[in-house]
Amino acid sequence: MVPELLNKTGKKFLIAVPYNAVFCTIIAILLSILEFAPKGKEISFVDNFVFSQCIGGFCCLFSIGAHNAFKDRKVLLIAAFGVALGLGTIFGELLGSVILWINPLIFIREVGFFFKILFGATLFGSVIIYFWHTREKIIETKTMAQDERIKRLTSEKEMIETNLKLLQAQIEPHFLFNTLSNILSLLDRDPEKGKSMLADLTRYLRTSLSKTRKDVSTIGQEMALIEDYLRIFKVRMGDRLRYEIMVSNDLNDAPLPPMLIQPLVENAIKHGLEPKVGGGEILIRADQNEGMLHVEVADTGLGLQDHEASGNGLTNIQQRLHSLFGDQGRLTLEENLPHGFKAVIEVPYESDQGHYRR
Amino acid sequence: MNPIRAIIADDEAPLRVSLKKKLESLWPELVICGEAEDGLKAVELIQESQPNIAFLDIRMPGHSGIEVARKTGGMCHVVFITAYEEYAVDAFVSEAIDYIVKPVTEERLKITVDRLKKRISSMPEPSPELKETMQRVLSALESRKTPTRLQWIKVQHGDGVRLDPVEEVCYFQASYKYPAVMTKEGESLIRKTITSLSQELDPNKFWRIQQAGKPLS
Repeated sequence: MVPELLNKTGKKFLIAVPYNAVFCTIIAILLSILEFAPKGKEISFVDNFVFSQCIGGFCCLFSIGAHNAFKDRKVLLIAAFGVALGLGTIFGELLGSVILWINPLIFIREVGFFFKILFGATLFGSVIIYFWHTREKIIETKTMAQDERIKRLTSEKEMIETNLKLLQAQIEPHFLFNTLSNILSLLDRDPEKGKSMLADLTRYLRTSLSKTRKDVSTIGQEMALIEDYLRIFKVRMGDRLRYEIMVSNDLNDAPLPPMLIQPLVENAIKHGLEPKVGGGEILIRADQNEGMLHVEVADTGLGLQDHEASGNGLTNIQQRLHSLFGDQGRLTLEENLPHGFKAVIEVPYESDQGHYRR
Repeated sequence: MNPIRAIIADDEAPLRVSLKKKLESLWPELVICGEAEDGLKAVELIQESQPNIAFLDIRMPGHSGIEVARKTGGMCHVVFITAYEEYAVDAFVSEAIDYIVKPVTEERLKITVDRLKKRISSMPEPSPELKETMQRVLSALESRKTPTRLQWIKVQHGDGVRLDPVEEVCYFQASYKYPAVMTKEGESLIRKTITSLSQELDPNKFWRIQQAGKPLS
């Protein structure tokens, strides 16, 4: 913090030195013309020049330091500028005295003269500070606007990419064509079953495709979508798929980003149960605890082995959680003992949110 | 002449039934001598009943359709059924192999049936040439699968194993029997050799440094 402050101040000071020197020279010329001096004494141009350079230099250095240290706190900043100019005047007078080999006590003996110098330094200093400060502010605002723009564009791009990925995930060709061929085959033998499967597919596609454009869904809506999805697979896989959804009714209205849980269920089928001879079970559970909502998708399928390289959907979920909730959103993937895979999503949850909405 | 016999292997029952019905109407003389719901049973069935034709779904539990064809190489003509042309099977259609996509239409199945009839009349018994062509085509087919990059890594956490994102890994270090992985949460052990890791990790993100020098993040 402190070294950084010194570093910044030093850099800015170096940039300001030439301007400051020119300005101080002008002041020295002015003072010589006005014959500025304590009563009954005379000050040469050289003396004026040295003192004004020294005082100006210190004032400049301290003001820049003050500006860097208290940039964002207005009252403190003004006070700090005052102190900087006062100290700058004293230090400058001391340095000037040393350079010109004058007894610095002269400034104590001639108090009126000292205050005149202080007044001058404050007056000119304030003008310069005001000028520099305004200029810095303008530059800063411009940079901020630029950053903001870049940030907005980046997040827009990310959102579009995520939406695209979600969209691709929903209309995964294997799922779509396999389901369609099942429906076609059922329409001959068992038209009622075929029709209800078609209805499930239609509802699933409609909800999931429109969901990608919305930001917030609810647990209830997400579970309904998942049930449509699982019913489709139940027809396709028969006894090889068993599932249960355990979500208490009071969590139905809990807000949840759309299509966050569905990919977990899809993974459980695709990498857990579908490739397993004999299939297995999926258990979906949701509960809330200490301001967090936990949603768990556990299966008794093949386990971790098939997931390692195939985690596109999982990576996508993790990125979404991170961008939505930062460190508060978590995706944990682990073994479901004795066999299978378990994915847990945790997101922040305000339990009374559901109440006043009802 | 013996009747021509076929088996159908698909893990989804409705699809087996529907293919069977379509075949019955398009090719009434064909005998469906067995059905299998996974790759293991399909291999057994082919070995036991020695059919002339096997209709194999590519994605099946146990063994994939391609693995089934490999294991029973040349014993019968193979028709792959796939929901989606992920293997671009089109390029591999040969004397030994045909494919149809789901949903199977009668028009497309008719073409396959005609091809099969022709091939079987010219090559009634399985021959070494058939076997050879098939093995060649199958290995080409399998190599088409693009290798996927490791995105999650199995990590030992206490009693259980967890999948952690590779993105959060700072480095892997091969100083123990199993390599250690360092994430922001600390060091854990993984069950993969450094050699297999270096093949599976994205080479743009991880470099292998010999003699375990300074870790790279």
